[in-house]
Amino acid sequence: MAESALPAKELHQPEEHGGRHSAVPYFVVWIALLGFTALTYFTGTAHLGPWALAIALCIAVIKSGMVALVFMHLKDSSGATRLVFATSLVFMALLLFFTVADVATRFRLATPAGSPFGTERSQPAGLLEHELPEEE
Amino acid sequence: MPHELSSAAGFEGVPEELIGHHFSSLGRQTEAMRLGMWLFLATEVLLFAGLFCGYAVYRFQFPLAFQESSRHLNISLGTLNTLVLITSSFTVAMAIHYARTDKPRAAALCLILTILFALGFLGIKAVEYAEHFREHALPGKYYAAEAVKVPGAAMFYTMYFLMTGLHGVHVIAGMSVLSYILWRTLQGRYSSRYSVGIELGGLYWHLVDLVWIFLYPLLYLI
Repeated sequence: MAESALPAKELHQPEEHGGRHSAVPYFVVWIALLGFTALTYFTGTAHLGPWALAIALCIAVIKSGMVALVFMHLKDSSGATRLVFATSLVFMALLLFFTVADVATRFRLATPAGSPFGTERSQPAGLLEHELPEEE
Repeated sequence: MPHELSSAAGFEGVPEELIGHHFSSLGRQTEAMRLGMWLFLATEVLLFAGLFCGYAVYRFQFPLAFQESSRHLNISLGTLNTLVLITSSFTVAMAIHYARTDKPRAAALCLILTILFALGFLGIKAVEYAEHFREHALPGKYYAAEAVKVPGAAMFYTMYFLMTGLHGVHVIAGMSVLSYILWRTLQGRYSSRYSVGIELGGLYWHLVDLVWIFLYPLLYLI
């Protein structure tokens, strides 16, 4: 194989532009990540009720997006590597969505009496929410 | 795809033994290595996805216990660890940048900083774990903490130890990878001509950071 005779087109190194490689994006992302960590700390400790989880997850998705795109160079990677990572996210979303959709739409699951984990109940002992008598 | 820009990156200076005999060019080998690493990272994402799924189920079952137990964790140490890990991700990105721009000494320094940050992370985590053991805030039937007596608190600590434990194992693995990369950098193996090794090691470390970005709000900030 005469490797030196291969045309330049054979090279698929879109990330390597020699001297044009700049460290500025890394600084920007680092500062932004520190900023978003402060933001998630303040929104998280403020206990914003039902919105707290959504806000925390949104910030986490933004942060991880910046890490994946800039630190992990996904923004200038080849299509194949992007597809692989995107596929893992799709399967993760499938797993989480259907599991959460299931547990969120069921009545509270009970655990056997005397089990160390116990079922959390604010109701009289022995009755689950759907078993309670109708109130006035 | 138009990659005329990269035509400047030739093979001169790349040792012949770096290219596997089954690859027609270094470019193809590099692309195959990147793809292989991303495939591995995808399996890692799915490994943690299982734990996140378990977390979601038990948080639905024990909302109050998760809230109370989470507020009993040391948020200052958790936040400090987040800052440490984010900064270590930045230093490893800088190490790759310096390796690619032919500054191996700066790259090595950044890698040493990253490994020190990783050690710092594990040290802080050890302080937290010691506190849990002192309080008997342990998983499952070993749970006997006085502070939080809500049913389901044991389940929170089961998920907490599983998730932070598996993440901690990844931190240790990442440190080993970074140490090997550091040794190779000091040998002068990485340059603007060839840097895929340090790049793949960095990818693994960034994944460790990615997982923690989700663990931090889900465990400490309920």
